[in-house]
Amino acid sequence: MNMKTHSPASMSFTNRLAALSRTDRLLCGLLIGFALLALTLGIAYGVAMALARSGALSFLPDTPYRILTLHGTTAFFYWLYSAQAALLIVLAVGETKNGIALRSIAWIGAILIAAGFMLSELSALVGTPLLYDANPELGLDDPAVVAGMAGGYLLLAAGLTAISVSGIATILRGARTRADGFSALGFGLFALAGFLIVSAVAAVNAFLPNLLWALGYTPFPKNATTEWHILFHNLHYLPLMATVLVWYALARGLTGTGSITGASFSKIVFASYLVFVPPTSLYHMFLEPNLPEGMRVAGSLLSLFVSVPTLTAFLIIVASLEAHARANGATGLFGWMRRLPWANPAIANMVVAMLTMLIGLVFAFVLIQEKLAPLLSDTIFVPGYFHFFAVGTISQTFLAAMMVMLPAISGRPLWRPAILSRMPWIVLAGLLVFGASGIAAGFLGVPRRVVDISYDGAAPAIWPVLMALLGAGGVLFATGLAVSVYGVARSLIPARMPMTATAEPDAGWRVVGAPTAPAWTGLVAVVVLVVAMYAATIGAFEFMQALPADVSGTTGH
Amino acid sequence: MKQETLLLIGVAIVWFVLAAVYAFAPSLGMPGYARVWGAGAVVFLILAAVLGTIKRPT
Repeated sequence: MNMKTHSPASMSFTNRLAALSRTDRLLCGLLIGFALLALTLGIAYGVAMALARSGALSFLPDTPYRILTLHGTTAFFYWLYSAQAALLIVLAVGETKNGIALRSIAWIGAILIAAGFMLSELSALVGTPLLYDANPELGLDDPAVVAGMAGGYLLLAAGLTAISVSGIATILRGARTRADGFSALGFGLFALAGFLIVSAVAAVNAFLPNLLWALGYTPFPKNATTEWHILFHNLHYLPLMATVLVWYALARGLTGTGSITGASFSKIVFASYLVFVPPTSLYHMFLEPNLPEGMRVAGSLLSLFVSVPTLTAFLIIVASLEAHARANGATGLFGWMRRLPWANPAIANMVVAMLTMLIGLVFAFVLIQEKLAPLLSDTIFVPGYFHFFAVGTISQTFLAAMMVMLPAISGRPLWRPAILSRMPWIVLAGLLVFGASGIAAGFLGVPRRVVDISYDGAAPAIWPVLMALLGAGGVLFATGLAVSVYGVARSLIPARMPMTATAEPDAGWRVVGAPTAPAWTGLVAVVVLVVAMYAATIGAFEFMQALPADVSGTTGH
Repeated sequence: MKQETLLLIGVAIVWFVLAAVYAFAPSLGMPGYARVWGAGAVVFLILAAVLGTIKRPT
């Protein structure tokens, strides 16, 4: 058995953050603070939307669409992508002793993202609501708002490119000083930065024609929907890739656990994200009536591979944690989980993130089936399932990372860890209510983007009941998430007497290396997931075929 | 850096092949895919080239 004793790697990571120059700490703090501001606004808009859908709040006819536009724009684009920019820079700087490289370019990137945010928010607040994809067809009579939304997203793309360039330079600076070159995490971050740059190109491809049309330079962009789908596909993968990189970093940082399959295999897994991106993109086009039949068949087959990189990374991380816990004396089928460092709320966030990912994957698999996509894509099934990913998996993972990073950067200990450790479970409970009611309502034909679903009393009686549950679940998970945001944001304020990085709790695992203890939990979880995916898909087919025609017919637009 | 360079070259090849499929099969009617996957191939090739030039400390 190849084992050795070792102190947790968190010491080196958090010590490096604590040792950053004042300028670097300011930039890291501002990037994280901006991301948290976007998340706070996104939560507020989301609560308003959930209450509107549940019937608890009434608005003028156009207002819910404005709120929906603001929620999607703020939470999906500006929270998720400014958070990724922040995490890229902070994780990259944790890989080197020499601080942020090309710092001025990173500052320019931060300013561009902030400018894009203001332009997008202003456009969504005062113009015609275009929804978060800034669809120019909805802005035919209001080109100024198309220009504003497209311009905001293009500034965001430019800012992400600048920060990615700085991130790449920072990682390279670290790799040049290491005898073994890149760490697995360093390579994963390098690949993520490249992917962010490519996605910025996809954003230019999607939004520049809209901007030019809105400014009167070119004809109307007829392919706007297709170009959006290309960008949207990348936007599916990017946050999930960032999520597994954070899991990898947290597992290493909080327990000292490295991958049991080795750094070399981890690099292959991280690169596989990029390999799988282009071939799996076709399923987004299933709603296009002109898509050739051969492409539909190919898209269906290739979509089966869409979650392969995430599941592989999940398997490795869970197996590594389990094997190391057992090597440190843990016993029992799930008893090893008790040995995780639960005192740090980042662990609860990470565990709940993994659970919600597995739940979300089951229903994602249902949605990407070629025969089911046209029936379900315009129903509330979609927000019902994707919040498992967007909130449960990705947002909670990003918050977990910030819970470890911010105290090290500011020197201010995390606010009430015991309370923050409970929040992910509240978020999970809210998501289960929100998701179950949304998915059920989707199967029963509740439309996705129609707020008043009474249809003059002709709607099925179960619809408002499900919408009330959806609203209650949404408010519950938003509350848990908001408390987590508050707790993390408290550490933005620099401490007068900085704590030492070693104050971070850890698992107390002192045996690391390459343990040979059995680790089956991750594999069992994947097997259960695959069975659940097929069962849910078969069940969905059976259910949709059994529906009366007048109900299934309402799943259109 | 050999493994990392090879991995990124592999990624660039996949993106290039997909870009070529969309570019040379106009019946698909989706030139945007060719542009984006092609740009991605170029970006990852540049990153692979950057990695290839790095020298480790001795």
